[in-house]
Amino acid sequence: MKRWLSKYSQQIFLFAAMMVICIVLTRKSEYFLTWRNIRNILEANSYRLILAIGMTFVIASGVMDLSAGAIVSMCGVIMAVVLHMEIPVPAAVLIGILSGMMFGIVNGLLIHYTGINFFILTLAVSGMLRGVSLIITDGKPITKFGQDFIYLGIGRIGELQLSVLAALFLVLISVPLMFHMKWGSYVLSLGGNREALVKSGIRTGFYRASVHAFLGVMAAVTAVIITARLNSAEPNAGMNMELDAITAVVMGGTSIKGGKASIAGTVLAVLILGVIRNGLTLMSVSSDYQQWITGFLLLVSVLISEIKVHKFRTLMK
Amino acid sequence: MLSAKTKEPIVEMKNVKKAFGYIQALEDMNFSAYAGEVTAIVGDNGSGKSTLIKILTGCLKPDEGEVWIKGRYFSSLTVKQSIKEGITAVYQDLALDNCKDCAGNIFLGRELVKHGIFLDHERMRRSTEELLLRLHISIPDITQPVERMSGGQRQALAIARAVYAGGDILIFDEPTSAMGVKETSRILKLFLELKAEGKSIILISHNLFQVFDISDRICVIHNGRFVDSFLTKDSSPQKLHELIVEKEEELSDETMAK
Amino acid sequence: MKKRILAVLLSVSCMAAMMTGCGSKADEPKEETVKEEEPAGEEEKGSGVDDILADVEAKMNEALGEMPETGKGERIGILISSTSNEFWGTMKTRYEEAAEELGIEVEVFEASAEDDTQGQLDALNTMIPMGFDAIILSPIDGTNLIPGIVAANEEGIPVINLGPGVDMDALADANGHLDGKITVNFEEQGSTVAKDMISRMPEGGKAAILSGLEGAGQSVGRTNGAAKVFEETEGVELAAAQACDWDTEKAYEAAKDILTANPDLKGIFACNDNMALAAVRALQEMENEDVMVYGVDYTSDAKAAIEEGTMMGSMTYSSTIYTKAAEEMAMLVIQGKTFDEPVYLPLTLVNQDNVSDFEGWR
Repeated sequence: MKRWLSKYSQQIFLFAAMMVICIVLTRKSEYFLTWRNIRNILEANSYRLILAIGMTFVIASGVMDLSAGAIVSMCGVIMAVVLHMEIPVPAAVLIGILSGMMFGIVNGLLIHYTGINFFILTLAVSGMLRGVSLIITDGKPITKFGQDFIYLGIGRIGELQLSVLAALFLVLISVPLMFHMKWGSYVLSLGGNREALVKSGIRTGFYRASVHAFLGVMAAVTAVIITARLNSAEPNAGMNMELDAITAVVMGGTSIKGGKASIAGTVLAVLILGVIRNGLTLMSVSSDYQQWITGFLLLVSVLISEIKVHKFRTLMK
Repeated sequence: MLSAKTKEPIVEMKNVKKAFGYIQALEDMNFSAYAGEVTAIVGDNGSGKSTLIKILTGCLKPDEGEVWIKGRYFSSLTVKQSIKEGITAVYQDLALDNCKDCAGNIFLGRELVKHGIFLDHERMRRSTEELLLRLHISIPDITQPVERMSGGQRQALAIARAVYAGGDILIFDEPTSAMGVKETSRILKLFLELKAEGKSIILISHNLFQVFDISDRICVIHNGRFVDSFLTKDSSPQKLHELIVEKEEELSDETMAK
Repeated sequence: MKKRILAVLLSVSCMAAMMTGCGSKADEPKEETVKEEEPAGEEEKGSGVDDILADVEAKMNEALGEMPETGKGERIGILISSTSNEFWGTMKTRYEEAAEELGIEVEVFEASAEDDTQGQLDALNTMIPMGFDAIILSPIDGTNLIPGIVAANEEGIPVINLGPGVDMDALADANGHLDGKITVNFEEQGSTVAKDMISRMPEGGKAAILSGLEGAGQSVGRTNGAAKVFEETEGVELAAAQACDWDTEKAYEAAKDILTANPDLKGIFACNDNMALAAVRALQEMENEDVMVYGVDYTSDAKAAIEEGTMMGSMTYSSTIYTKAAEEMAMLVIQGKTFDEPVYLPLTLVNQDNVSDFEGWR
């Protein structure tokens, strides 16, 4: 039991923090604990969760991808251009997703074959994709896509929006993918000790490329959601989304060094940040506080994991 | 098909050269190990031992020279091929995934699955328990991440992993450096048991007493070159020690002379 | 173990305290004082300004048609762009002041930045279940709030659009509608500035425009209004038109580049004061004080610049009358009136000639 507490201490902290925040918000605003408001929170954060799940796998593999936001923008622009060429919506979405996958593969292969630090590589890719995005759009958003496409952003099945269902689906398949399948296990080992994989005769290039491709697809799905919702593909879309995703993933307990990951943690982190954002709006408080609180939560969450590690080391002596 | 009594080496390197930038790790390496024997490689730091192993396991490709395994020539040996030929190595850095547990490491690369795609954690854990028991390796909690185990336990695990791989040519680089006396003797006994099963063992060790304890053949290398090779029974720790020191001095004389 | 539990409990309670402390509507101090400077000299109300204001209010009321019943305590939700621009900060204060005068309750919401389209939509979605009698909104671009407007329509909440426009075609496509629209004629803003600028360059010359966020209603309108006048006037050339996203850094860079490419530039029209002042900075650095700079919004910094002579003029309208009229319109809609046509707020250009008459403008 104690082991379990220690292993999941970060997630438990997040859960506790979430409970506290929810209680405070329920007292401060009569609208917080209503179904409509909770539904708003889920809908506003579904795409964030989708991107964060993709990022969870990438960070588990020992690197980070700073180009995720740029991939979102680029996929949105590509779909916009394609839609305006009268190509039917399903085909356009497929093209968008394949594009995202392709950009991801490029990132993965670059990291694998050049051996250059992922930070620089993904930053460079980010710049290039944003640049191309700006060139194609001429700096202006491409808008107006017709109701069929917009439906993807705001359509509902019953009470739940498509994006929320998509996020839910993704969370559910991510757990077996990460912890009960070879692919996820090797992705984790890429971060845990890549050499161990190499020496076992495993082709690490494939896993490196595919984990980034996975994130690329998540970015493309994000692009579908936000482009459809706003009915506009902006070259500046997705700005800093990768940082928000990384924040949530690390806050949730996935180790920055890789090798260890938590899907539940990512979900909790995204939800907490979403609840805070929503709470601040309900209370008409300036969104400046949001940055402060986010930073604070991240710090405490990481400290908790550090204390855990440190405590163990002292025990060993 | 090679028998244990034949004089053909089971593993052989001929005139192998390997450089990393300006550093010539292997200058003219000749090395042979024979089936069913424990061959010890002795040499100081910088003699090229790690490079030698990595070439045998396919992690590195030689710049020049030949690599022969079980009588077959390999022009560009890959890790997969090397594993297929039965070579398994335990490196000094152990190549363990610290975040995974014992079973995760033992089965890395050969995971057991159920229903075709899902990892069978249950079965892997049970197999791991059985394996450790069989090898008399004592690890109290096999479900914790490997980074929490002591150095000696980690080494034992890496060795267990190599044994489990089932290869018949086992290479160990300083396998007991972090172990206590009892653990070390257990591992050495294990090596002899493996030899009795017909496996060939290549052992790299600084510990000359260990070398004389279990090896059949000693190969001395120095500065990337093969120096000498002889049967263990024809030598002694003192003689070996002298040989190494002598080589050291020879080399420093050479360098001084330049 | 104990220490760790303590640390966790401490930090969690710290955070709870923080959240409880910050942002309770009742005990929230006037943080607006940090954000916005005192609106232009409210203390000295010269009679000149009161006359101008009364004149504007009269014209406005004419446009509205009738006056609503006051003091009935309706609750109105207001969504602005972002108080990071002083203009919107002032608007927020005016909304709250007008509400007091009219006897209604308002709550003002915003996005985190002037280009945070998603954040503004999220805010609107959050507002909808909060039971407002009407919502007044100013979208960041033509389409970002449409899903929210449709949702408001479905809940039967009247929606009034103030200022930057919603794309009516896209809104119709989505089966949404507005219940009222009050705005300023953005083209008129652009053309008034252009005419004033041209009147000061009798021999003709080159002019440039620094636009705001692409696709944003005010930006497009102002740019087009000014460009049209420049192009129709003989001897005047529109040398450059650059989109700067309302961002001061981008405006600064653009101004520098444009001046470098056109050393004989005579005038710059920036679509808001923030960008105009950035252009002024750029000009000062390039040691060119002859170029006329115009902006829009008449912020306090712009006022100072016009008085100093570094800016030539700024388009303005009375934020007091604007917000009051918007709230009156909302009240009228709640009380049953329909508006089929948009209502326009009268415009004024403040320039170096008449700036002293505008002391106390609000």
